[in-house]
Amino acid sequence: MVHVFSYHDKRYIYDTGSGALHECDDKTARYLKGEPVEISDEELKETLEAIEGLKREGLFDAPETEARPIKSNEVKALCLHVSHDCNLRCRYCFADEGAYHSVREVMSFETAKAAIDFLLRESGNRKVLEVDFFGGEPLMNIDVVKRTVYYAKEEGEKLGKRFLFTTTTNGLLLDDETIAFFNEEMENVVLSLDGRKEVHDAVRKTVNGKGSFDAVIGKIKKFVKARGDKHYYVRGTFTAKNLDFSKDVLFLADNGFDSISLEPVVTDIPDLQIREEHLPAIEAEYEKLCDEYVKREAEGDPFLFFHFHIDLEGGPCLSKRVSACGAGNEYFSVVPNGDIYPCHQFAGDKAWRMGNVFEGKLDGALRKKFAESCLFTRKKCGGCFAKFICSGGCSANNYHYSGDIDEPYAMTCAMMKKRVECAMHVLAERKSREKS
Amino acid sequence: MIKTIAKPAEKKVTGCGECRSTCQSACKTSCTVGNQSCERITREQKIEKK
Repeated sequence: MVHVFSYHDKRYIYDTGSGALHECDDKTARYLKGEPVEISDEELKETLEAIEGLKREGLFDAPETEARPIKSNEVKALCLHVSHDCNLRCRYCFADEGAYHSVREVMSFETAKAAIDFLLRESGNRKVLEVDFFGGEPLMNIDVVKRTVYYAKEEGEKLGKRFLFTTTTNGLLLDDETIAFFNEEMENVVLSLDGRKEVHDAVRKTVNGKGSFDAVIGKIKKFVKARGDKHYYVRGTFTAKNLDFSKDVLFLADNGFDSISLEPVVTDIPDLQIREEHLPAIEAEYEKLCDEYVKREAEGDPFLFFHFHIDLEGGPCLSKRVSACGAGNEYFSVVPNGDIYPCHQFAGDKAWRMGNVFEGKLDGALRKKFAESCLFTRKKCGGCFAKFICSGGCSANNYHYSGDIDEPYAMTCAMMKKRVECAMHVLAERKSREKS
Repeated sequence: MIKTIAKPAEKKVTGCGECRSTCQSACKTSCTVGNQSCERITREQKIEKK
């Protein structure tokens, strides 16, 4: 399958089967899309020859049948909900402002230790394991975070396994000691910041109902300065209230953050929820951001926007691309009482409870359901050009919007496709600069 | 006119499962495999550079 698309005056061809990206002229694009076009015999001959050449190289209309999902029962990663409590009350929080529709509590070290033991036991031959400290706000339980890191490293070493740790934090409790610990032990740190002060403060409230921007911006800046060249992301959320979100991404970039992610909100709160009528504005905003992104790269002032990074040359193999995210099979969430869920977005919903780290076994039927879920069980994705990039989307989002982990949500798909096209344009512009 | 912008590296191994868990990157809501890199290729490239 080939996808022909335009970005301003540029025309691109993305070959879904091979993952190759080509640029073409307007006549070729129109011809490939079956649109009326005045094309001479010579031009047509040249186009057809070029297509045949690419077909021989396997870069045009390449077969997709070789892709098979990865079959493995090895657990790679755990999301540890070390705190089901939070020191903020963000309006859009999917986690019920940290409580996950249950009591506010923190995870004991005994539970965290049992979770690490579970991961080590279930990881088979895998040498690199991942643990994400999540909440609520994980810094409200920093002692358990530290003890768990040291325990995991010690036990992992005995088995020849290495851990990569990540923490997701709102930054409110960041201090010098925690910054030093993170820079020593965390492979990645995700810091929540929505962008402009008025945007951030409208939704990310303190317990007392005040905006939290002023309380976190200095701490997050300090952390990033001390971070050096280690991985981090400043990660925000946009809602229906800031459909001009490119300004928020650029605000973050202008404040010295060079690794940024901004995600569409997942909520049914009426004034925040992103609805179908917002889509044209959102697509236009991604283009606006993309234009500025390309401009800054060309001017030697680049930053990384997570969704505009697509690795078409060294990216995952097709098997990985059809295997979906791995939630519920190779990735699980563990909540403070030790209960195991397919991922953080299912946490607290008893229908999706898969076991407990103290029991040490998983619900076979649920795990089978997630293990079998892949691009091919997501029937609506069959004709989509982006299917090997998004792999059918987030199982939790699919479930929450459509009632089925295999039923993609049209709005999410539309935004994903736009971001993918922008990312391809970014790549093409970068390649063009490199050549010249 | 058609010119190739990017094509996948020739991969000798597929489905090895070394890749990182998709949801461990930035966003925790819409992370996608397309934003990831192949761990094995990345490692081999690092060795080649050395």
